[in-house]
Amino acid sequence: MKIFWAFTRQAFHNSVIYRVEFWLRFISIFLWMYTVSWVWRVLYTQRPAAFGVSLQQMVTYGVLGMALETFLDVGPEWYMANQVRTGAIDTDLMKPLDFHLHMLARSSGEMLFSLAVLALPTFTVGFYFFGLQFPADVTAGLLFCVSLVLGFLVLFHLGFLLGTLVLVTLDIRSISWAYYSLVSFFAGQMVPLWLFPSYLRSFAELLPFKSIYYIPASIYIGTLTGQEALRAIGFQLIWVVVLLFFTRWAWGRTDARLVSQGG
Amino acid sequence: MEALRLYFKLVRIAIQSRMQYRADFITGLIGVITLNVVNLSLIGILVSRFTNLNGWTLWEMVFLYCLWILGHSLFSLFFWHIRSLEDYLVQGTFDQFLLRPASPFIMFLGREVQYLGIADAVFGAAGFSLAYTNLGLHWDWTKWLFFLLAILSGTLIETTLSLMVGCVAFWTGRSRRVNSLIMQINVMVQHYPVDIFGYTFRAVVTGLIPVAFMNYYPALMLLGKLDRLGTWWWLSYLSPVVALVMIGLSAQLWHLALQRYSSSGG
Amino acid sequence: MIKVDHLTKDYSRPVRQEGFLGSLRTLFSAQYQTTRAVDDISFHVEEGELVGYIGPNGAGKSTSIKMLCGILVPTSGQIEVNGLIPHKNRMENARQIGAVFGQKTQLWWDVPVIESLRLFRDIYKVSTAQFKRNLELFNDLLDLHEFQHTPVRQLSLGQRMRADMAAALLHNPRLLFLDEPMIGVDVVVKERLRKFIHEINRDQKVTVLLTTHDMVDIEKVCSRIMIIDHGHIVYDGNADQMRAQYGTYRTLVVEFEESVPDFSAPQATLIKSDGRKKWFAFNRFETSPSILITYISANFPILDLALEEPEIESIVRTIYAGQPGTAQTETL
Repeated sequence: MKIFWAFTRQAFHNSVIYRVEFWLRFISIFLWMYTVSWVWRVLYTQRPAAFGVSLQQMVTYGVLGMALETFLDVGPEWYMANQVRTGAIDTDLMKPLDFHLHMLARSSGEMLFSLAVLALPTFTVGFYFFGLQFPADVTAGLLFCVSLVLGFLVLFHLGFLLGTLVLVTLDIRSISWAYYSLVSFFAGQMVPLWLFPSYLRSFAELLPFKSIYYIPASIYIGTLTGQEALRAIGFQLIWVVVLLFFTRWAWGRTDARLVSQGG
Repeated sequence: MEALRLYFKLVRIAIQSRMQYRADFITGLIGVITLNVVNLSLIGILVSRFTNLNGWTLWEMVFLYCLWILGHSLFSLFFWHIRSLEDYLVQGTFDQFLLRPASPFIMFLGREVQYLGIADAVFGAAGFSLAYTNLGLHWDWTKWLFFLLAILSGTLIETTLSLMVGCVAFWTGRSRRVNSLIMQINVMVQHYPVDIFGYTFRAVVTGLIPVAFMNYYPALMLLGKLDRLGTWWWLSYLSPVVALVMIGLSAQLWHLALQRYSSSGG
Repeated sequence: MIKVDHLTKDYSRPVRQEGFLGSLRTLFSAQYQTTRAVDDISFHVEEGELVGYIGPNGAGKSTSIKMLCGILVPTSGQIEVNGLIPHKNRMENARQIGAVFGQKTQLWWDVPVIESLRLFRDIYKVSTAQFKRNLELFNDLLDLHEFQHTPVRQLSLGQRMRADMAAALLHNPRLLFLDEPMIGVDVVVKERLRKFIHEINRDQKVTVLLTTHDMVDIEKVCSRIMIIDHGHIVYDGNADQMRAQYGTYRTLVVEFEESVPDFSAPQATLIKSDGRKKWFAFNRFETSPSILITYISANFPILDLALEEPEIESIVRTIYAGQPGTAQTETL
């Protein structure tokens, strides 16, 4: 647990130094919130009943997705790609700390930092600015938190797998565009899955991505409640376990390969 | 004229360099096309529930999107590295541009080319032709000329904007975030017609960060929607002027930045 | 050739606040702190001189070279390079100087060396005849033809440095700045580069300002030494004289077969002892390694030996430990 805090502190230190950067990041997130809320507002004035939920719910969903945009920034893939590029990955592998755990600690540390400094403040500002709503009750709030943690774990492992892939084959930059846009799309960051055309929806429902935004945000606004919410959390759990095993397996193979190459 | 000749020589070497990394071309192509298909799908999902978004039909929005991306394609082909000006400063490689008896600006501008622009151009052209057909447009040569001019203005607006933002790094050491922010506003304009937003936002993307001139304003004329602007209809023809003004402003800022560099050091 | 008078350069840098609260404070306001990289230095270099410009990292070497190149504007003081003020006539000045920065190449990374050279030919407007003549010269002295069609990223460090050297001299500059050109290069190539520098200095009367960390470079190449530390010039004079004054100490490192008690040897001082290893410092004009070794081996069985030459840093330290700023007059 200690190393998680170490990384959080470090993230604080690194990020806070560039104050201009921090404020710009803040504005940037706020602008995205502004965009989604305007788009929904305009669409709702045209046909209020077309989306199955109230405008307030929909705007809350969208703004929440934007506040949690930071999720996408703290994945281990960029760190891994950078270490490979500079050759510093060797020293990481030699540390007496399991690399997967090291990455998890790093990402979680940065995540805690981003939640505290970016996600929460921007969401609070957005809350008053765009007239959002709270979760219906305490249970929904708690389930939302659990679901959020699981969503983070899913995203982390996907990022780790991407990082592993980059380790052996590819240049990350252009691939990351495809990756992030697909994740954001299938996770329902902008547009919730229930608005997808039916063929696309049944496909997206099976993929792990919806754990990242769609499930937590739906629990928050109350479109996933009771049994359904629990089932969704179960779905997240299963994916976390599957991805965990898959990651360990893939990393074991890559690690062995890196070591046998002599780094 | 001599500067132009030097620029082409530099670009020739930059292209030769880029050819060494052909695999990047494929991944870049996949990246760009996926990104754009996903973006347009999102717009499609939203608009398909209605017939339009604030009076913009799906194909009109595709048109808007692709006009933006066509201008952007030239930017990303030749000028993308302006966005990483800060890296040149951090790594100290900026010095080499000042070491030669040639314009540092030309030396910097001709330093790199990117494949991604090709993917943008292909996607933009394909999307545009689909939109043109589906909207049943029939342009005479003046409109085609205006269309080309709009694309070129779009390229110049994005280039000069990136340059101005890049120059910020001479003072702050970093400009990446400012750049992302501008890019984000730019993407908002790319995705949605500016008139769905509030007054402040419209004023910002018209007067302050004039990215609305990359697609929104020229598109109004090209799509015959000038009435949406009322007495402000002339804004639709203003893109080339805006591009020229931006060139002047960014040139001034670049000179200030060079002065700053030589007095503070990289 | 070079006239530098009372040259000073200040940088201002943002200050990092310590601790969590401190870093939070920088979110709202930043403080700047001025550091003086070059502090009131003056020197003149005549045409055809080969000057070793040395000093520890961060002493102000690169800053002063950048000012001589016209990249940086001085905070105060005057510079003149061959009659031009570099920062006011940057482009003209660029034509008469060449520069090699050992840490980073000036060449295009992914294209064959010759492509970069052709581009420099165009930038500097080198005539076809001159270009041809220089290429031949570089083929002779640097074996450029061996790797001129190879992309720079595939070159060895030694080859890369030779290519950079060729690029810097392509336009026949009157003045050549070499900033750590030997860093990481193997002994054979070093020897070659030294010979090359020497020859162009002798045959073409190119004035050279060479930054290095290597004592051998200074001994073999330079006719004059300037030592800079903390922004001051602490020594400026003849290379032989410096060697005689400061470079006379050698250290003999002896590893014994078993641990032995501390002892002293004639004309040598025991300066360090660690396990079975001992370090003896001696003046090479007072005694020789062979005398020392004979003496020591007569008393204790020796396992291994090494002879260490003084490094620039330690010489600078020796000079600087005396009286800062007036080092020229002091003796050891």
